[in-house]
Amino acid sequence: MPERVLAFGVCLFLLAAAGCATAQEAVKGGVFRYAAIDEAPTLDQHVVTSDLATTIAQHIFEGLYTFDANYTPVPMLAESTDVQEDGKLVVIKLREGVKFHNGKELDAEDVIASLNRWGKFGTRGPVLFEHIAKLEADSKYVVKIYFKEPFAPWQNLLAFINGGPVIYPKDVVEKAEAKPIPETEYIGTGPYRFVERNPGRYILLARFDDYKGLAGPANGYAGERKAYFDEIRFIPVPDVGTRVNGVKAGDYDYAEQIPGDLFESLKSDPSVKTIVNQGSIQGFIFFNSKDGIMKDNYKLRQAILVATKMDMVLRAAIGPEELWDANGSFMPEVTPWYSKAGLEKYNRGDVELAKKLAKEAGYNGEKITFMVSSSYRMHYDSCMVIAKQLSEAGFNIDLQIYDWATLVSKRSDPKQWDMFFTHHGFVPDPILFTFMSDTYPGWWATDRKASLKKPFIETMDQSKRIEIWSKIQELIYEEVPVAKTGDIYMYDIYSPKVQGLSEMSLIWPKLWGLSFK
Amino acid sequence: MLSYVIRRVLSMIPSLFLASIIVFSFIHFIPGDPAVVMLGDMATPEQVQQLREALGLDRPVYVQYIRWLSGILRGDLGNSIFFHQPVTRVIASRAETSIFIALISMALIALIGIPIGVLSAVKYNSWIDQALSSLSMFFASVPTFWLGLNLMFIFAVMLRWFPSSGFPSVIESGNWSNLRYLILPCLTLAAPNSALIIRLTRSSMLDVIREDHVRTARAKGLPEWKIILKHVFRNALISIVSALGFTFVALVSGTVVTETVFSLPGIGRLVVESILRRDYPVIQGIILVIVLLYMLINLLVDLSYAFLDPRIKYS
Repeated sequence: MPERVLAFGVCLFLLAAAGCATAQEAVKGGVFRYAAIDEAPTLDQHVVTSDLATTIAQHIFEGLYTFDANYTPVPMLAESTDVQEDGKLVVIKLREGVKFHNGKELDAEDVIASLNRWGKFGTRGPVLFEHIAKLEADSKYVVKIYFKEPFAPWQNLLAFINGGPVIYPKDVVEKAEAKPIPETEYIGTGPYRFVERNPGRYILLARFDDYKGLAGPANGYAGERKAYFDEIRFIPVPDVGTRVNGVKAGDYDYAEQIPGDLFESLKSDPSVKTIVNQGSIQGFIFFNSKDGIMKDNYKLRQAILVATKMDMVLRAAIGPEELWDANGSFMPEVTPWYSKAGLEKYNRGDVELAKKLAKEAGYNGEKITFMVSSSYRMHYDSCMVIAKQLSEAGFNIDLQIYDWATLVSKRSDPKQWDMFFTHHGFVPDPILFTFMSDTYPGWWATDRKASLKKPFIETMDQSKRIEIWSKIQELIYEEVPVAKTGDIYMYDIYSPKVQGLSEMSLIWPKLWGLSFK
Repeated sequence: MLSYVIRRVLSMIPSLFLASIIVFSFIHFIPGDPAVVMLGDMATPEQVQQLREALGLDRPVYVQYIRWLSGILRGDLGNSIFFHQPVTRVIASRAETSIFIALISMALIALIGIPIGVLSAVKYNSWIDQALSSLSMFFASVPTFWLGLNLMFIFAVMLRWFPSSGFPSVIESGNWSNLRYLILPCLTLAAPNSALIIRLTRSSMLDVIREDHVRTARAKGLPEWKIILKHVFRNALISIVSALGFTFVALVSGTVVTETVFSLPGIGRLVVESILRRDYPVIQGIILVIVLLYMLINLLVDLSYAFLDPRIKYS
C-alpha cells in the first residue's frame, strides 16, 4: 500500500511538473526552417509587392505604423501622431532609442529619406505622394508631413508594409534611388537582421539582440515582437509534395501554401498542424476599358458577370469550403468596409439573363480574348470553369494561356486582350485596390469613378468614407471594370513542436512570438 | 594528338560565339520583362520603366549584347537581375550540387548498368536476361517525380534514414556527411539512366559477341571470362563511354524534375526558374557554360576512343 501511495505521489509530481513545463515561458534558441514556395526577389519593400518578399522582409524592416488584429493602423516606429490643420498637416513623433542593425540610431532624417524614395520610386508610394506637399524634420525625432489637401488613407498607406514605406538608414536609400537596395545594405530596425542569401538554398536571418520593439502584448502585427529563434532560414521548396513531406519528416518547421485537396487529410494528421490564413486573397477578372469589345460596353460585362456561378469556380479551384467564401463584397466581412451594395449581380450563373443582356449589348458572337497564367494553379483552374460557363452562355471565348511574365507583358497592350485573370492580396484600405488606379491594366477611369474617388480620399471622416466606398462598389457592379470570384483563404502547415502560432493577420506569416517546445 | 586537341579547342571559340548570339537573341524575343516580374502585380508602367532604365534594359538589344560580350571577354558574366549577385557566383553555388549529383549518379549508373548489361548479354535469351530486360524496361519507363516522391516517403518520412530534401553545401561547410542529402535524388536519377545503360551495354556486347575475332578467340580455346572481358567488353565500351559522357552532361544541366522534387539547388532548376523570371544574364551565362561543357565532354569522349581502340589515331 505505501508503495502505491508513493507511486501515486510520484505520478502526481510528474504530472504537475509536466503541467509546469507546458506553461513555461518560451525559451530562446533554435533554427526555424520555413519552406517557401519560391525564391523571393529583392527584399526591398519600397519596390516589390511580392508576398514572399514581405513575409521575409517584415522581420527585418519596420515602418512608422502597422496594423493590429482589427486592421486598424497603430504606431510602430512612430510614438505618437498629431493631425492638425483639418488633416493637412501630420506631425509624427518617433520612438527614441530605436537602433538599426548597423548600430545607428533611427532619426527623422532616415524617415524623410526613406519616405521620399518610396514616394518617388516605390510601387505604392506615389498613391500617397501625389497628395503630399512636403516632408520636414522638426527635430531629431519629429517628422512633419504637409498635405496639399486632406488625404484620408495616409495612415493606412504608411502602415501597409507590402510595397510599403519601411525605414532604411538615410545613406542606404540615397545611394539606391530606383535600383533595388543591394543585399549588403538590408539594414532595418526589425527583430531579425539579414545575414545572407544563398541562391537556391536559403535566405538566412539572425536575431537582432539590440532590438527595441513595442511594449504590450502582440496584437495582429502590433505589440511586442519577441524573437525567440537564433536563426530563421527561408528555404525555397517549390514542390508542394516536398514541402508536406519535409514537415512530416522533420526537415522543415513550417511550409506555406498547401493546396486545398490535401486540407482534410492534413487536418487529421498528427504529425503536422494546419493554420488557415485570416486575410483572404481574391480572384479578379479584369475587363479592358480602353479598347476592344468591352470598351464602354457595361451591359456586355454585366452579361458576363451574371453568367458566372462563382461558388462553382471556387469549389473547383480551391476545394474544401473552409478555404473559400463566395463573397462579392470587395472588402471581407471582418473589416468595416464590408458592403452588400450591388451584390444582386454576383454569383448568379443565370444563363438566360446573360443571353438577354448580351443581346441588348449588341453582342453577336464576336471573339472575346481571355488571358490566364498557367504559373498559378488557382488562376488556371478558376479560368477553366469560368470559360466553360461563359461558353455555355453563348460567349465566344478565346482562352489564351501564358506563363506569368508573358501575361503581364501582354496585358499592358490594350489591343491584345478583352479579359484577363489575376488575384489580389488583402488590402486594408480600398484605395489600394489596383483597379482604383486609372493607369493599371484595365484602365478604369470613368467620370463617375472620378466623382466618387475624390471625396473618398479627401474625406477625413471614416464613416463617410465607408458610405462612399459602398457607392463605389455599387458602381463597380454597374460598370464592371473587374469581376470578383470570391475570398480565398490560404493555409499553411507546421510542426507540432512549434508553439505560439495562434492567429495570423493579413497574409504574411510572422515568426516573432514563436518558439520551439 | 596534341595538335588535334589544340585544333579542337580553338574550333570551340567560333561555336561559342555563334551560340552566344543565338542564345542572346532568342531570349530577348520571348515576351515578358524581368522588371515586371520583379516589381510584381501592383507596379505601374512608370515604375517598370524606371527599373528598366536602372538595369540598362531600355537600351537596344545589340547594345546590351555588345556590353555582355565585352564583359565575358573580361571574365564577367554580368549580374543576376533577380538575385542581384554576379552570375558567376549564382552559377557556382548551383554547380556544386549538379556536379555532385552527376558524379554520384554516374558512379551508380556505371556500377549498376554495366555489370547487369554484361550479364544480360552473356546470358542472352535465358530467364535471367529476360528478367533483367523487363526490370530495366520498368525503370526506364517510371516517371522520375513518382519514383522520387515514393523514395522520399519511404526512406525520409517513414523510415527517416535520409533527409527528405535540400542540400547544404559541402564546400562551404566542409561537412562531407551532407552528401547523404543526395542519396535519394541520385537513386532516383540512377534508376532510369542505369536501365538505358543496361540495354545499351547488352546490345553493344551482343554486336561484338557475333564478330569473327570473338569466334576465333573461342576457337583458340581462350577461357570464356577472358573473351568476354578482353575481346568483347573492351570493344563494346566505345558506345558505352559515349553514352555515359552525354549522360553526365545531361545530369549536370538538366535534372529539373529531380531537383524540384528534392528541392535541390542545381543548374537544371536554375535554368527553368531564370527563364520564368526572364533573368537574362543568368540564362545566357548558364547556356554558355552548358554548351562549353558539351564541347569539352565531346572532346574527352573522342579522345577516349583512341585509348579504347588502338586502331583509332588522331593526328
